[in-house]
Amino acid sequence: MSPLKYLVICSSLLIALILMILPLPDWAQLYRPNWLALVLIYWSMALPKRVGLWFAFFSGIVLDTSMGTLLGQHTLALVVIIFFNLNFYQRIRVLALAQQSIYVFALLLINQVVVAWVEGILGRPTPLLAYFGGPLVGMLIWPWVFVILRDIRRKALLS
Amino acid sequence: MKILFQARGATLQALFLIVLSVAIMVVDHRYRHLEVVRSNISFAISPLRYLVSLPATAGNWVGDWVTSHTELLAENEALKDQSRILSARLQKLEILAEENARLRNLLGSSRKIADDVIVAELLSVDQNPYRQLIEINKGTADGVETGNAVIDDFGVMGQIIHVNPQSATIILISDPEHAIPVQFVRSGTRSVAFGRGSTRQLELRYLPATADIMIGDELVTSGLGGRFPPNYPVATVTSISEDRIRGFVSVLAEPRARLDSSREVLVIKPRQ
Repeated sequence: MSPLKYLVICSSLLIALILMILPLPDWAQLYRPNWLALVLIYWSMALPKRVGLWFAFFSGIVLDTSMGTLLGQHTLALVVIIFFNLNFYQRIRVLALAQQSIYVFALLLINQVVVAWVEGILGRPTPLLAYFGGPLVGMLIWPWVFVILRDIRRKALLS
Repeated sequence: MKILFQARGATLQALFLIVLSVAIMVVDHRYRHLEVVRSNISFAISPLRYLVSLPATAGNWVGDWVTSHTELLAENEALKDQSRILSARLQKLEILAEENARLRNLLGSSRKIADDVIVAELLSVDQNPYRQLIEINKGTADGVETGNAVIDDFGVMGQIIHVNPQSATIILISDPEHAIPVQFVRSGTRSVAFGRGSTRQLELRYLPATADIMIGDELVTSGLGGRFPPNYPVATVTSISEDRIRGFVSVLAEPRARLDSSREVLVIKPRQ
């Protein structure tokens, strides 16, 4: 794969990162979908040989740094869901977008549970809404994320 | 067969990365070794932070630009008045400070009165929603160091927990993991104010029921612990609830600093 194609993948991850730290009003923060997880799920589904666990690991480290969370917190969550995704992508890829959304909801929920558990272990219990708010919004926007990234992938001739 | 091995390879890799992330978390939580990694990555992505806070900055800038002439004149007049009043007060304060220094000299005390400050602006960046952290646009390049106290024009805001070359992270006094040593101005009682995760509340735990506390009492930094310089305003007592069984009172106080709306902050550097 040429460097240009990696550039496309990395820029989409960077944009996801920007969306993760974009200021939102306080009430909306718990509904912020995990953009980085969505983009990683897409790429690991479309190009499982190229974008896998290491991508998840390094994106997680950068996300932890930029959000000021414990280093490794989002990393762990992302590695876990991308690992699941690498095992299931062949069955999920062929499903309709609406059905995929439910699967994506499950992955985002696992991601959120891992993040919230680490918060809990550190002695900072999180509200229940924190578990469901983000994944729910993430599920609803998955079809758009999927279509946009698919078009980008086709334009950039990634296969 | 090959597929099987590939699958097993992926599983092993995943296990390795999971163990690695857990190890990183433990090290980051308990020790300071990973501060270098954090500050390097943070520096690398600092353009993103500026990019994200650009709309807010641009909004302010446009707002300043379109302020009408008359409004500016009025504001100018008001500021001049304020400056006159402040400089009059300052004269008095200078005399007092001099007198104080002289008296301290007589007593042989070595405590300094003035501190160096660095003016910084907030970057509008959202961070961990469960914590109370904010980002400012000054870093090691401007002399900011970990542990420096941060105030706004009303009171203590927090302290620096991470520094990068061009930016720094502040933990607010309202963060659930933050505690600040304080003193009641009226009675001189010392205590510790804990954050509760809300920008409007601090909690003082385990004060004896006999302590002399009233609603409206002012709290200032006591200077114990060496992190915060003494005598900066911190909070005002808003409620006192008694736990008769255990003989403690739990006191809630409202921070003086505008933790959720200040745009400019001052970083206080201890004098060498």
